Order: sequence, then C-alpha cells, then structure tokens
Amino acid sequence: MDFEFSVIVESIPALLAGAKLTWIITVLGISGGMVFGILAGLGRIAGTESLGEKPHGIFMPISSLIRYISSGYVETVRGTPIIVQAMFLYFAFPMLVKAVTDIERFRIEALTAAVITIILNAGAYIAEIVRGSVVSVNKGLLEAGMSLGISRFQLIVHVIGPIAFRRMIPPLGNQFIISLKDTSLFIVIGVGELTRQGQEIMASNFRALEIWLAVAVMYLIMTTVLAMSLRHLERRMKIF
Amino acid sequence: MSSIIELKKVCKSFGNTEVLHNVDLSIQEGEVVVIIGPSGSGKSTLLRCINCLEMITSGELIVDDIRIPAEQGRIRQIRLEVGMVFQQFNLFPHMTALENVAFGPRKARKMSKAEATDIARNLLDKVGLAEFENKLPGQLSGGQQQRVAIARALAVSPKVLLFDEPTSALDPEMIGEVLDVMKSIAKDSGMTMVVVTHEMGFAAQVGNRLIFMDDGRIVEEGKPGEVMKNPHSERLKDFLGHVKHH
Repeated sequence: MDFEFSVIVESIPALLAGAKLTWIITVLGISGGMVFGILAGLGRIAGTESLGEKPHGIFMPISSLIRYISSGYVETVRGTPIIVQAMFLYFAFPMLVKAVTDIERFRIEALTAAVITIILNAGAYIAEIVRGSVVSVNKGLLEAGMSLGISRFQLIVHVIGPIAFRRMIPPLGNQFIISLKDTSLFIVIGVGELTRQGQEIMASNFRALEIWLAVAVMYLIMTTVLAMSLRHLERRMKIF
Repeated sequence: MSSIIELKKVCKSFGNTEVLHNVDLSIQEGEVVVIIGPSGSGKSTLLRCINCLEMITSGELIVDDIRIPAEQGRIRQIRLEVGMVFQQFNLFPHMTALENVAFGPRKARKMSKAEATDIARNLLDKVGLAEFENKLPGQLSGGQQQRVAIARALAVSPKVLLFDEPTSALDPEMIGEVLDVMKSIAKDSGMTMVVVTHEMGFAAQVGNRLIFMDDGRIVEEGKPGEVMKNPHSERLKDFLGHVKHH
C-alpha cells in the first residue's frame, strides 16, 4: 500500500477552506436553529400547564393557533429528508416564487440555501428538545413561585428557563453534531464545504485513502470541539 | 376580628369527580386552623383553591377582601398575601438557600437586591439555617429544605400561610425541627395559618380550631382538644384510631 503523506499536506489549504465553510454554515445554522427551536418548542406547549396557568378568554384561541403552527412546522421538517429540503430550497423554491409572483430572476445563493436548511432543520429537532425539557421541569416549582405572587413571565425566565436549559444540553450536543455532519449533504447544491473540497481534490488526484482520511479527521476535530464545549457548559451549570 | 378567608358553599370538581362539596368555612385573622382527614378528602384541594392554584367550580370564595374568581392581577395580589408551604418543599434547585428566600421579595415585592438579601438572611436565621445560606437545596436535608421553604413563604410578608402536609415527606427525626419553626411562627407573629397535617400533637398544642374533612365535606370542627377527646362521627373516631396507632 502506498500512503503518500505529502498528498495530505498539499491538500490541507483547500480542505481547510472547506472546513471553514462547514464551520460557518454550522454556527449560523445552529444559532438560527436555537431561535427557531426555542420559539417552536415553547409554541408547541403554549397555553398548557407546563408554562403556568391555562389561558382564558381571547388567549385560548391564540394559544391553540400558536400550537398548531409550531406543530405543523416541526412535523413537516422532521417528516422530510434534509437533502430534499436543501434541493427544494435551492432548485424548486425559486421556481415557485417565479410561478406565483412576477419576479423573474429570483434565486437563492447555494450558501444561503445551506444555512437556511440547517436553521429550519435543526430548529425543528431543537423544538422537541426544548419542549421535552420544559415539560420535564417539576410543576411544583411553578406553583411555589406563583404562590409567592411572582408573575408567570418572571418564573419562566428565572426558574423554568434555567432548569430546562441544563436538561437541554446533552440532547443539544447531539443535535449540534448532527447538524455539523449534515452540512456534508450540501455537496448536492454545490456548496464548497469540506466534503465537496475533498471530492474535488480526489477527482483530480485519485488519492482516496489520503483525502478521505484527512476529511474524516477534520470532521472529527470539529465535532470534538463542539462536544467538548458543551461538556464544559454542562459541568459549569451542574446542580446537586 | 374580621375573617380573612371566607368560603360559602364552595364546590370543586375535576371532571366528573367532585372533590369539595358545599364547604362553608370562615377563618379569622390570627387564627391557626388545622385540617385533618383521610387522603382524598379534599384537604389539599381546599388549600390550593384558597391560593388560586385551583379555581373553585361554584360557590363563593373571598380571600383578603378579594372575591375569587378574579383577573390575573388580583390573583397575584391574593398570592402575595397568602403564602404556601408544600409537602415536597419545591425549592428552586438552582438557587442557594439565600437566593430561594430572596427571590420572592425581589420579584414579587420589587425590592432591591440588598433589601431582599437582608430579609432573607433574617428569615434564614429565624428558621435556624443562617450558616446554610450558600447551600443549594440538594445539599440540605429534607427538614432543612422545608425550613428554607417556610422562610421563603414568609419573605413576601404574607398575612396568611397555608401548609400542605409540610412534614409528610420527612424522615421522622426531622419532623420536630419543622414543627418547632411552625410553632414559633404561630406564637411570635400571630400569623394566620391553615395547616393540613396528620401531626395531632401539633394540632392540640398550636391549633385554635381543628377541622375534620371527609369526602369533600367538613364533617366536624371545634377546639382541637375537645374534637379529639369527644369525636361525634364514626368516621372521625375511626380516623383518630388510625392516626393514634402511628
């Protein structure tokens, strides 16, 4: 077997450029995904006892509507493959816009499509993580807080939020790593991320062993950084 | 003396199950009322209705001159005046003992951090936990946690304290320390207290009135000593027999 270490060394600049793009898509994607996830996760339990008292009057239909919208989003995204979502956004969505409106040359940059796909996709899974964690917080804490005369909003911010957040960290770590690896699928819409860079170098020198080994190690380094920072956060927020 | 809690023909149902049935009760300021009764008799539900954690189905409930049901703002007003101590303590697990006690004054009474901390220190001292102020609930024993919970309820300076089986989740050797704190509150501050408990000794010593509930109704009430000595109903005789055996 001939293993040329120099092949790896030569390909490092291109691979690093790809890794950088992978990292950017991931960080933007999971940041936006957190926003979507928290909104949709809380949305799915809007007006239920997990967030305090049941609403009455006008707030009842409003909270039902919020629950339906949030659930619709989560189920749609979870129910379709991410690669289909990426292709839909990049290829199909502009056509849809063209058909519905008069905008002729509407298109989405591949990188933008990639980031949006991760945001929407991670957001749906994070929503379930948020919902599960909030629902798991002992209802007695909310009652204790309410019996002190503290507002529901204050209790969500200072009691439910921090406790639920601690419980979210392990599953969030999972989701962040999954989202990072999902960026490799954007090879199909031509985003020059790490996998795509590897593929292109491989196509020119046919050194599959060296290149895919280097690519794998780079993914491993990035996922390890993610996992370790979350472990660090988890340790810092440990409660007895 | 004026009554601070007034219930007239209060009913409470969960679905088709009626938990409280035509309950009439009037509690005066400064009174210590002890409620006993078998499990499922509606004692806890009664407390939870007074604190608006449950809404009554029908009847009249007036707490501190506010008629319930009321809008959110008024309900928060009631809760400021009516504190509650729970069977499971329900301390905020991510806050130290001091932060737990200071949280109410800060967020509900809108005090400054310094003021709230001052109040919290005083109260922790009062319940004998001054040196534990920086401990998290998980680092405290059950009895200590319940004493912190009592301090927390006192911190918003309510007029009434409701105790929902405050010693039922405790190991036997820790019951005394919690009851002692409750006794001193009753004696020193003249606080109005409604206590659901099985501690007959406490009822006899501290209670002004003993109420026996069964099946969602108030079956008997009166001076604790007399009620315990001369129970009229078969159900209370039976219940007291069971309690005394423990």
